[in-house]
Amino acid sequence: MKEQHSVIGKSVPKIDGRVKVTGQAKYTGDLKLSNMLVGKILTSPHAHAKILNIDTSQAEQLPGVKAVITHKDVPDLKYGISPARWDENIFCIDKVLFVGDKVAAVAAIDEEIVYKALALIKVDYEELPAVFDPLEALEEGAPLLHESFAGNVNTEIHQNFGDVEKAFSEAYHVRTDQFVGQRTYQCPIEPHSAISVWEGGKLTVYSSTQSPHYFQYYIARQFGLKMGDVRVIKPYMGGGFGGKLEPTGLEFAGAALAMKTGRPVKMFYDRHEMFAHNRGRHKQIMKITTGVDKNGKIIGVHADFIMDGGAYTSLGVATAYYAGAMLPLTYEYENYKFDMIRAYTNLPACGAQRGHGHPQPRYAFECHLDMVAEDLGMDPLELRMRNARQPNTITPNDFKINSCEMEACLEKAKELSGWQEKKESLPSGKGIGVAVGSFVSGAGYPIYRTNLPQASAVIKVNEDGTSATLYTGAVDIGQGSDTVLCQMAAEAMGFTYEQMKIVAADTETTPHDFGAYASRQTLMSGAAVKQAGEEVYQQLLEMASMMLKTDFRDLVCCLGMISSKTNPEVTITFAEVAREFFVRKGPLVGKGSYTPPKLGGTFKGAPVGTSPAYSFCAQVSQVDIDEETGEINVEEVWDVHDCGTVINPSLVQAQVHGALFMGVGEAVWEEVLFDDKGKIVNANLGEYRLPTALDMPKVTTDLVFGDELEPAGPWGVKEVGEGATIPTMGCYSNAIYDAMGVRVYSLPLSYEKVWRALKEKREQEQQG
Amino acid sequence: MYLPDFDYHAAASVEEASNLLGSLGTEAKLIAGGTDVMRMMKEGTLALKSLISITRVKDLKSITHDQEKGVVIGALATHNEVMLSPVLQEKYMSVCETAHHMANNQIRNIGTIGGNIANAVPSADFLPILIALGAEITLQTSSGSRSMPLEDFFVGPRQSVIKQDEILTEIIIPEKGFSGSNYHKFGLRRSGALAVVGVAVAVTMEDNLCKDVRIALGAVAPTPVRVPEVEELLRGREISAALLEEAGQVAAANCRPIDDIRGSKEYRQDMVRVFTRRTLRKAIDAGHV
Repeated sequence: MKEQHSVIGKSVPKIDGRVKVTGQAKYTGDLKLSNMLVGKILTSPHAHAKILNIDTSQAEQLPGVKAVITHKDVPDLKYGISPARWDENIFCIDKVLFVGDKVAAVAAIDEEIVYKALALIKVDYEELPAVFDPLEALEEGAPLLHESFAGNVNTEIHQNFGDVEKAFSEAYHVRTDQFVGQRTYQCPIEPHSAISVWEGGKLTVYSSTQSPHYFQYYIARQFGLKMGDVRVIKPYMGGGFGGKLEPTGLEFAGAALAMKTGRPVKMFYDRHEMFAHNRGRHKQIMKITTGVDKNGKIIGVHADFIMDGGAYTSLGVATAYYAGAMLPLTYEYENYKFDMIRAYTNLPACGAQRGHGHPQPRYAFECHLDMVAEDLGMDPLELRMRNARQPNTITPNDFKINSCEMEACLEKAKELSGWQEKKESLPSGKGIGVAVGSFVSGAGYPIYRTNLPQASAVIKVNEDGTSATLYTGAVDIGQGSDTVLCQMAAEAMGFTYEQMKIVAADTETTPHDFGAYASRQTLMSGAAVKQAGEEVYQQLLEMASMMLKTDFRDLVCCLGMISSKTNPEVTITFAEVAREFFVRKGPLVGKGSYTPPKLGGTFKGAPVGTSPAYSFCAQVSQVDIDEETGEINVEEVWDVHDCGTVINPSLVQAQVHGALFMGVGEAVWEEVLFDDKGKIVNANLGEYRLPTALDMPKVTTDLVFGDELEPAGPWGVKEVGEGATIPTMGCYSNAIYDAMGVRVYSLPLSYEKVWRALKEKREQEQQG
Repeated sequence: MYLPDFDYHAAASVEEASNLLGSLGTEAKLIAGGTDVMRMMKEGTLALKSLISITRVKDLKSITHDQEKGVVIGALATHNEVMLSPVLQEKYMSVCETAHHMANNQIRNIGTIGGNIANAVPSADFLPILIALGAEITLQTSSGSRSMPLEDFFVGPRQSVIKQDEILTEIIIPEKGFSGSNYHKFGLRRSGALAVVGVAVAVTMEDNLCKDVRIALGAVAPTPVRVPEVEELLRGREISAALLEEAGQVAAANCRPIDDIRGSKEYRQDMVRVFTRRTLRKAIDAGHV
C-alpha cells in the first residue's frame, strides 16, 4: 500500500546546508548586539558545602564590571521538571551540592574582565561531608542533600504488571544478572550560550535550546512575567542530544544581569563548564531477572534498578520511569515488574541523553537475554525472533503498539550480516552479536502539565505565489527538522520543496511547539504541518476551480502545477492561483495543530513511555578482539530500522550514523570520571574520548516496511533519531562474548575491562 | 577558562631567547607550538609572567642529512614536517610513522619535535623512538652549547636537566647501522589519544641473529626509560618467538608504571610485555629503520 509522493521520500538537500557550509549561518555564540555585555557564572569548588558569606564588593569595583549578582538578586522560586520535584534555584542560597553548582554571576564589558571579576568574588564555605555513590547515598546516615528528600531518594518507582512471582515459579528457567551503566555526557559540538535583552518590559532570549517554548515557560515563571512578554529565539544550533532541553542557568542569570544593567548580556559555557553543568546520562545499576519456558518464550521479567541522579532532579524523574517503561516494547510478555530508586549524590545532575533512560537498561536486557539463550542452548537471534513483538499489540504497561516490524528487522539483520554462516565459521577472536531497540515517536504527554496541543504550524503563501513560508515552533538542532517539515509542507500543498522558506523556533513569530526531544518532531510537528498544508491546498483548489470554472473535485495540484484529472489541457500554476487568491481574499494561509489521542494506562507513572507510534530496530555487529590487549575493533555494523515512511532517506541514514556514533562511544570509550572530591577529571575532549572518524565501524543501514502504514503518523512516519543509539552497547557486549567467551558487566566495555575479563577466564581455566 | 595576562616576547634569535630566559628567570618559559603550555596556563595549572616564543627564529626548522653527524632535525620542525620529511622518510621511517600517529592533525600542524622533547612528559611519543635510535640533542645558550644523549635529558615528569637559559635547538640521529626500528603507541582510541604504553625498538640483525638492540619505553615510568635487561637478554641471540616473549616479560618486570585514568599499573605492565614482544617483531621484520 505505497502511496505516490512528489516531495517526501526524496533526499533533497538540507534547507540550511548552504548557509552552514559557507559560514553564513550564525549560532547564538556568533551573535553580537550593540552595547552587549559578557556574563559568566561563578560555580562551587566544593561538592557539598554551606555558603557562609558571599562578598562581591571587590568584583564590583573592578573597572568594566557592570553587575555582580547572587541569590539575593534573583527570585528564590525553585524549578525543575515537575512541581513535586522542583529542587533547583537560579543561584544556591544556603549550600552548594556539587562541584560546579551555581553561586553568583558577573556581567562586564568583555570576557577577560568577567573572568577576573569571577576570581574576585569571595565565597566563604563550610565544607560538608559529600556522597558520590548512589548506593552509599541511600544508606542510613549518608550526607543528606535536600531536606525535603529523606534518605536522598529523589524518585522511587514500583510498578507491577501481571504476576511476575507466579511466572518465575512456573518458568522452565529463571536467571538473574546485574549490570552497571556509566555516566556519559552529550558533548554537543556547540557550547551552550544565551543572549538576554530587555526592551520596554519585554525579555528576548536568544538561546541554543532544544525547546524555546519550555525555556519561555520557565523564564516567565521564574521572573513572574507573562509568557507573552518573554520571547525565546533559537538561532542555528550545533546539537543538543537532550542536554539543551531544560534551562541551563545561563538564561536565568542572563535575564537578571540584563535587567540589572539595561544592556544585552551574552552568557556561555566553555567545554569544562558544559561537563560540570552536565544533564547527561545517568549511571544505572541494573539487576534483571527473566523467566522463560522451554522454548525460550519470555514469561516474566523483573527489572530492579538504582540510578545516580546527581544533585538535582533535572529531567531525571522522566529518565527513571523511561528506564523501565521501554523494556517491554520489543518483546511480548505479560508479567513485568519494575523497581527503581533515583538517588541524589553530590555530583552534577543527570538528565536526558539520546535514548532517554533506555540505552543502558537495553544493554543490560540484551546481554542478559543472550545469557538466557546460552543457558537454553539456543541461538540468541532465534530467541529474539520467538519473542519479537507483533503489530497491533499492547505492552503489559499499557502502551498501544500499532505498526511494528520487530520480527522483520531481525530477519533482515540476520540476512544482511550473514548471521548463520558467521555464527558457525568466524575464527577465534572474531565474534558477532545482536541486540534490538525501540523508541517513542514523541512522548504522549507534554513536558509539563498542560492541555496545549503538542504542535502547531502556519503556512503563508507569498503574495505573488512564488514561495511559501512555513512557520513552526519545531526546533532544528542540526538533525534536519526544518528540511523534512518543508518537504512535508510542500507535499501537502502540492508545492515544491525548493520554493519553501521556513521561520522556526521563535516563540513570538512561530506557533507553539514543544521542541526537539523524545524524537517527536517528524510525527507530531509533521502532523500539524500536513494539516496546515492541506488547508492551503483546499483553498487553492477552490480558487482554481473558480478561475478555471471547473469542478473542484476534478482538480489536482502537484509540484506547483494545478491540472484537471479529466482534461490534461486544463492547467494553471500554483503561483497564478495563489496570487489571485491574495488579490480577492487576502493572505493565503493554512494552519494546523496536533494533539495525540489519550494514551496509556492509569497506574502511577503510566504516561511516561506512551507515544502515538514506536520505532523498532535490530542491530548486528561484528567485532575483532585482541586477546592480549582487550582492544575492540568493531569491523561492521548492520542496522535495520522500522521507522515508518521515510521523508528524507539521506537524513534517515545520517540519524542512524549519528546515533550509532554515540552508541559506539558510550559502548567502548566514554565515561565522565571524578576524583575523590567530586571534581571531574576528564572534562575535556582529550580525555573524555568520543570516537574519531577512524574509530567508526563500517555501517550498513537498511529499512523495513510493513504492509500497513503507521496510522498515527502523517503519511505513516515514525521515529529514527534516538532509536539507533539504543541497541549498540548490548550488541557489542554480545559480540565480544561471541568472540572471546567473556562478559563485561559494566559500561564502557573498555579495552582494560575486556583484558581483565580474559585474564580472569584464563586463570580460572588454569585452576580448573 | 581564560588565558591569564602575561608578557609575550617574540625572540628573533636563539641568543635573544636565551638572554631573555636568563634575565626573566623561572617565571618565564620558552614556547614553540605552545600546544601544552597554553592549555596549562588556561587551566591554571601553570602560572607564568612571560612567554618567549622562538617560532620566528630562522633555521631551526630544517631536517637534513650530514655525512658526519647523521640526520639533524631542527627543534622547530612540526610533527607534520617530521612526518613529511623526505630525509626522515628515507633514513628513519619509524620517526615519520611516530609523528603520523601523534595527537590530531591540528596539533601536528603546530606542535614541534623540540617542544615534545623539552616538555618532558613521560607519555610523549617522540621520546622512546629517538632514544632507541640513540639520538643526541644540542642545548644552546647565548654563550655556548652542549650536547648529550637524549636519554640523559630527563629527570622526572615535566623535569629535565635543561638550564633556565638553555634552548633545545636540534636533535641528531647518528648513523648506528640499525637494520630496523619501530615505535608502537598503545592509546585508547585510534586518533587523539595519549600513549598508555609506548614501546620503541631499534635493532641490528644479521640474518636471524640479534647483533644489537636498543629498547625504550614511554608512559610507564617518570621518564622514558631504556630497558637494558632486555637488551642484554637479546644481544647476540638467535631470535625466536619464545625469546621475544621472554623479552616482553623481562620488560614488564623492569618498568614502573602508575595507575591513572587511562589505565591501571597492572594493565600497563602487561601491555609492556605484549608490545615489547610485538614491537621487537615489527622492528626485526620492518625492512627499514
